[in-house]
Parts: sequence; C-alpha cells; structure tokens
Amino acid sequence: MTARRGLGGFALAALLIGYPFLDRALGLQTVHAVSDGMIYVLLALGLNIVVGYAGMLDLGYAAFFAIGAYAMGLLNSPVLGSPLYGYAWSFWLCIWIAAAVSALLGTLIGAPTLRVRGDYLAIITLGFGEIIPVAIRNLGDVTVEIGGWRPVERLNLTGGENGVNPVGRPYLPGVPFETDPVPWYFLILVIGLFSLWAMSRLQDSRLGRAWMAIREDETAADCTGVNPISTKLLAFALGASFSGFAGSIYAAKLQAITPGAFEFQVSIMLLCMVVLGGAGSLKGVILGAMLITLFDRVVLAEATFFLRWLGRSLGVPLLVTADLTLWRWFFFGLGLVLVMLLRPQGLAGRRIRPMLVPDTDDAVEVAPPPAPRVEAIPGWLRERAHRVGAAAGTGPILEVRGLVKRFGGIVALNEIDLVVPRGSIIGLIGPNGAGKTTFFNVVTGLVRPDGGVITFEGRPLAGLRPNAIVARGIARTFQSIRLFANMTVLENVLVGEHCRLRSTVPGAVFRPPAVMAEEARARERARGLLAFVGLADKDGDLARNLPYGDQRRLEIARALATEPRLLLLDEPTAGMNPRETETLTELIGLVRRELALSVLLIEHDMQVVMTISDRITVLDYGTRIAEGTPAEIQRHPRVIEAYLGTGYEPAAPGGAI
Amino acid sequence: MLALDDVHTYYGNIRALRGISLTVQPREIVTLIGANGAGKTTTLRTILGAVRPRRGTVTFNGQRLDGLATDRIVRLGIAQSPEGRRIFPRMTVLENLEMGAFARADREAIAPDLERVFTLFPRLRERTAQKGGTLSGGEQQMLAIGRALMARPSLLLLDEPSMGLSPILVDAIFKIVVDINRQGTTILLVEQNARMALRVAHRGYVIQTGRIVLQDAAADLLRSDLVRKTYLGEK
Repeated sequence: MTARRGLGGFALAALLIGYPFLDRALGLQTVHAVSDGMIYVLLALGLNIVVGYAGMLDLGYAAFFAIGAYAMGLLNSPVLGSPLYGYAWSFWLCIWIAAAVSALLGTLIGAPTLRVRGDYLAIITLGFGEIIPVAIRNLGDVTVEIGGWRPVERLNLTGGENGVNPVGRPYLPGVPFETDPVPWYFLILVIGLFSLWAMSRLQDSRLGRAWMAIREDETAADCTGVNPISTKLLAFALGASFSGFAGSIYAAKLQAITPGAFEFQVSIMLLCMVVLGGAGSLKGVILGAMLITLFDRVVLAEATFFLRWLGRSLGVPLLVTADLTLWRWFFFGLGLVLVMLLRPQGLAGRRIRPMLVPDTDDAVEVAPPPAPRVEAIPGWLRERAHRVGAAAGTGPILEVRGLVKRFGGIVALNEIDLVVPRGSIIGLIGPNGAGKTTFFNVVTGLVRPDGGVITFEGRPLAGLRPNAIVARGIARTFQSIRLFANMTVLENVLVGEHCRLRSTVPGAVFRPPAVMAEEARARERARGLLAFVGLADKDGDLARNLPYGDQRRLEIARALATEPRLLLLDEPTAGMNPRETETLTELIGLVRRELALSVLLIEHDMQVVMTISDRITVLDYGTRIAEGTPAEIQRHPRVIEAYLGTGYEPAAPGGAI
Repeated sequence: MLALDDVHTYYGNIRALRGISLTVQPREIVTLIGANGAGKTTTLRTILGAVRPRRGTVTFNGQRLDGLATDRIVRLGIAQSPEGRRIFPRMTVLENLEMGAFARADREAIAPDLERVFTLFPRLRERTAQKGGTLSGGEQQMLAIGRALMARPSLLLLDEPSMGLSPILVDAIFKIVVDINRQGTTILLVEQNARMALRVAHRGYVIQTGRIVLQDAAADLLRSDLVRKTYLGEK
C-alpha cells in the first residue's frame, strides 16, 4: 500500500515537472492555460476555507482577487501616478503585501457582517463584490479638495477603466519571466504546492475543526467553546489572503489588469469550481478549478476551431462563424446542474451514507451500552478534578437570583432563584413550556436575561458569550441532540477540547513540537472520554451515523471534553429505553462522585430524577412553585397537580410512569 | 387493515429491515417496541413511503402502498406524528394544525376537530398565534400529535409520542391514544416507554435488528421474560 502510494507520488511529481517540456516537445502550447488554472486553484483553495470549511456563502470573493491584483499593480507598475511612483518594488515583496492587504480588508469587511447568518451574509458579500470593481473604475482620477486646498489633485490611483498596464514582472537572475511561460508554471506550482500543504495541515487542526463545527451547527459550536465570530473572521481573512496572493501573481503574469477581470461572474465561476469539485475537499477543489479553467481556455477554443474547420469542409456557414467560447456560461451552468443532480457532494466530495444498524446477519440483540466503570474514567480528568476540588471554595458553584426573561408578552422566567452547591446534582423539573430549557439558555449565555444575577464560582456571568461561559467551566447538552453531524465521533470530542487548546495558524501549519504534543494529548484525552462513555470503537464513524443512544452519550463526552465544573444536562434520557437510561444514570452519578462535577439536570423520567438528585426545583409557567428534596417534591400538592399527576406512584418499582 | 409482508428496507447497502411482517386490524392499537436502531422508525417510514422497501409488500385496506408517493398515502387515510417533532417552525400553532387538515375534503368537519385538539392540549389553545419554532420541546411534541390528529386519519402512526413530555402529560397522552382509538382510529404506536405502550395496546411486536422476534397480545408481552428484562429494565 505505502509502496504503491510512494510510486504514485513519484509518478505525479515526474508528471508535474515533465509536463512543460512535454508540452513544448508536442507543440501543444497549453502551459499558459495550465498556469492560469493553477492560479484559479489557489483562489478556489482560499474560497474553500470560507465556503467549504466554515460554511459561509461568499458571492463576492473576486473582490479580494481584485484587491490583490491592484495592490500588485499599485506597487509594481510605472504608469500609475500613485505616491509610490518611481519606486521599483520587488515582485517578491509585493505578493506578501498584497496578501496582507487582502487579509486586512477581509477582516475589516468581515467584522461587521459576520454576525449575520446564511443568506444575509451572502447578500452582503454580493454587495461588496459589486462595490470593489466600481470603486476601482472611479479611482482613476482622484481630486481631494479641502477649502480651496488640494492635497491630492487628479491622482490616477487605479488606472480607471483602462486598468494598469504594464505591471512589473518578477526578477530572478537568468530566468526569462518576460518571454517564457515555463518559469511561471514552476513559480505557481511551488506556491500552489506550499498552499496545499498548509491547507491540508490547517484542515486537520484545532482551527480546521472549529471551522467545520461552525459550518455544522453554529449554536452548538458556540456552546462547545468555539468563538464563532473570531473563527469566522479568521476564515474570511485567511481566504482573502489566498485570494490576494493569487491576484498579485495574476496581475504580474498577465502584465495588465482591468476592472472587468474581477466582475461578479468571476466570483460565481470560483464558486462553481469549489462546488463542482466538492466543497470542503482539497482534491475536489483542485479538480474543479483545473477542469473549469482548462475547459474554458483549451477545450472550448479547440472545439470552436474544430467546428469551424468542419463547417468549412462541409460548407455549412453556420458552423464557420460559430464561437463556442461565447457559450461558456451555458456550459458551466449545464455542468453544474448535472453535477448537482447526479453527485450533489461534488466530483470528489466525501459521500455521506446513512448507516443505521450494523450489518450483521444474526439477529442478536444490539449490544447494550457497557456499564460505566470507575476505572474507565480518564486519569487526566480525575487529576484535574482533584486539583480543582482542592482549590475550590466552599460557596455554591452556581447561584441564580431573581432571574427574569420575557419573550414578547410572555414571562418565560419570573424571578427565579436557584442554587447549585458544589458537587451536587440539582434536578429541574416542570410541565412542558415551564421555562426549563430557557433557564439553561440564559445560564449558558444563549439568551440574554431581562433581569437578575447569575454568579458562577463567585463571579458574575453577565454579558458573556456562550463560548466564554464554556471557558469559565460550564458545559451543556441539548434537548434535541446537536452534534456536528458530518464530523467524526473523535472530531466532535476534539471540538469540545477547543477552548483548552492553544495552537494558532502558524502553529497548525508548521507544527512545532509543542503543537504536536498538544494535539497528541488532545487525541488521547478524547479517546479516553469516548471509552468512558462506551464509544471506544466508534471514533472514526460520522456522528450522524450513530444510533440515537450513542449520540446522546457522545454529546455528554463532548461536554466533558470542555473540562467543565458544572454540567447542564437537558433531558439526557429522552428517547432511551430503560436499560440505556439506567446506564446513563450511573454515568451521571459517577462523574459527580469521581470528578467532583456539579450537575443541573432537566429530566422527565421520574425514576432518574428522584434517585439521582440531591434537591429539586420545580418550575411552572416560568415561576418556581417548589424546591426541596426528592421526597418533599413527590408529596408536594402543587407539584402533583401541575406535573406529576395523581396517577404517579412515588414507590413504583422499576417504572417511571 | 394494514399488512406488511416480508418487508426488506435498505439504506444504501445497509439492511435496516430484514423481513418485517406485521398486521394491524381495524380499531386496534398495535405497538412496536425495540431498542434504538432496531428499525422501528424505519418501519414507519416504509409504511409512509419515505423509503422504498427493496422486497416485500405493504398493503392498506387491500391497496398496495409500496411505490406510492407519501402524499398519496396520506390521502388514503394514514397520518403520522413524526419522531423529533417535525413541525413547521415559522408558521403559527394554528397554521400548523390547519396544515394537518391540508389533504381533507370535508372542510366543515375541521372546526370540531380543531376544538378536539385544543381540548386535548389546552396549552396549544393558549399559544395559537405563537410561531411553532418558539414553543418548548414538549409543546412542539403536542403540536406534532395535534397536527396528525387534524388529518382525521383512519390509521394513525405515532412515533414516540411520550418523548420529552412531563409525567402528567405522559399519562394524558396515553389516555388520548385510548380515546381516539375508541372514537374509531386505528393506531400503530412506536414507543420507548414499553410499559405504558403495552398497557394501552391490544397487541405488540418486539423488533430487534430489523426483525420481528416476538409478537403476542400486549398483556402477555408485559409478562414475557425477554420484554421484562430488555425493555422494562427489570432485573
């Protein structure tokens, strides 16, 4: 296997190096087109960060392409009347400046827009994509006048409609960049391979996982400790810098740029490349970009040539004047429609197959989840618990006073008081719609309260975003399971560790020993947690393919991975059968006992709530109607009336009905 | 009334159902119990035409269902309250309920049925103008059941109706199941709460890894060793 891969790699390298010479020997003259294709690969790789990984639809990506190209033009062209005129800026310096300028503008534009989601973001990027070419057209003749004083008069900043021509070329002693396409081919190949390498490393790092988590479920990612704003901003800036890089090379290679080269259509074409090949897949993006460029530049031109020859030979005037290149958008559109119909994940995208039951022939009972064992608790988690336990004060871990939340006219939470003593399990019960989940949402920062104070370990939580609250030490699960469905089981838990890891972009790309060690430790911890909840052998499965009970346990493992001191569980046993419920109850008891975790539990299974809770708070219509020990609650007349019902038998053996 | 005969359903190459045969007689409550991933929901999806069986037949009042589109099947008189509360989040509670009656021709009979749903779930009456997506999880569950009832089906498929409901409502929901059954609706009930399901049902089937391993009168299943150990959690 490795030998064959090694051989394949060698063959690929030989092909990449030998191609321009082969092209010359055969007289094909396709090196220019292939080099341009590789520039588009670079662009598509950047767009793939934004669209494929972080899942944000960007319809104006060509704007950053333009910014990169014009940064190069401005710094490296003798014709513009810019203040930088006359300085021979080196191409090798300009490409980095162009990338930096694009990243900066990406951040500036991204910052205010990334709070909006989905369609709105797409529309904003669309606007931005329109603004940039217009601005470029109109900055060819700039005059600034302040009360008769003209500090800037008739400055030609961008060349206006005419564009910039010429743009300086790179200089390397003895390399003919002016006359020969082959050096360009190798230059772009080297840059492209480096980008690809960096990208593949980013994809498989703390940051890549955070992007994908945002794509899968932004709210769940936020509640798992991933800061959605900064993560998306980073994707936007990094994507823009790739684009700036590609734009600057494009400008220098073409030696001339015009605003027309960065219109809306270019954004769409880039998007087509990513979607056609398969968003999120590096191979797919390369394939998509090369296919579309070569089709456009080589296939359509050759086909037109052939058609005209055919027309002349057969004497059909219609064919003689045919020009297929005018039909390019027709063919792109058609291709996209076909791919979406036949292979919606893209040409090289990962196929997502449903997998509901293990395909075994014997009709044995599906193995029940293994009972949680004390020995299975990961050592690091236990050590941490002891450290925290020793440092902890005596006060309650969570103290909520007078919490109020209104939705329109409805008071969802009305002056709620609730105290979670350190190391206790507090049950939160009440009729449906009583405000239990809203209470969780307020404590975890998803919903802003209208009044009241929440204190965690003696410090107020007011105004903190969910991910900051996770970092403080509160983790949660969701009533309707919210996993990162198209990520693996292991990746889901690793996202949970996100806020405890430190690696940055350079770290993720160059992987110094510290980052390698951190990543290895993170994986070991994640595997330990999976073994603890009974998912040891499923770490490579996609989360969406797990059976329901396993998904619930995975959500708990993900929450534990954030190293919480308070765990909020929202109906953890809903939809589980009695056996699974029993195992999960033991698991909750175990984390409390062994890991000194405090637990706040919403649950309708009275068997679970009554056996496991130290104290119980009962809500009804947003108001606390009772608080006490399980025994007190079971006898409380208002609780029986509003929640338990008269049919409830406190001592029902083995039944929760 | 409903008969599945040797139904095999696949997801890709994965066999989810491996020869399910079951019948539901008119005016019966039949329950299907089994562990997570055993194929209960897939059975309901196959009946409704959301997935096609690769082998076997599904018949309803003598008419073949396998191969029909879901909306056609619903028009024949089958309605489902899906697992996971697939309500319309941006429509109001009232609009959601009205959507349940979308395929009905007897417009004048809809108002009394709406009243019946509101009587069953007073909480929904309080929230008629609220958007479905802003309801709590349990309220959405009520809405999903109410919407299924609005279709006034002759056969009602219920997928875990008690999930996420408070104990008092779990009691209520099973009373409702019995009530609507007495009013003439046949019910196929999928439930994790096997004890309650077997108490209200006439007959039951136990499903394991895509096969029916046990079928009997509900009262007898409640006493069977396999059911008591595996699905009732008794030692």
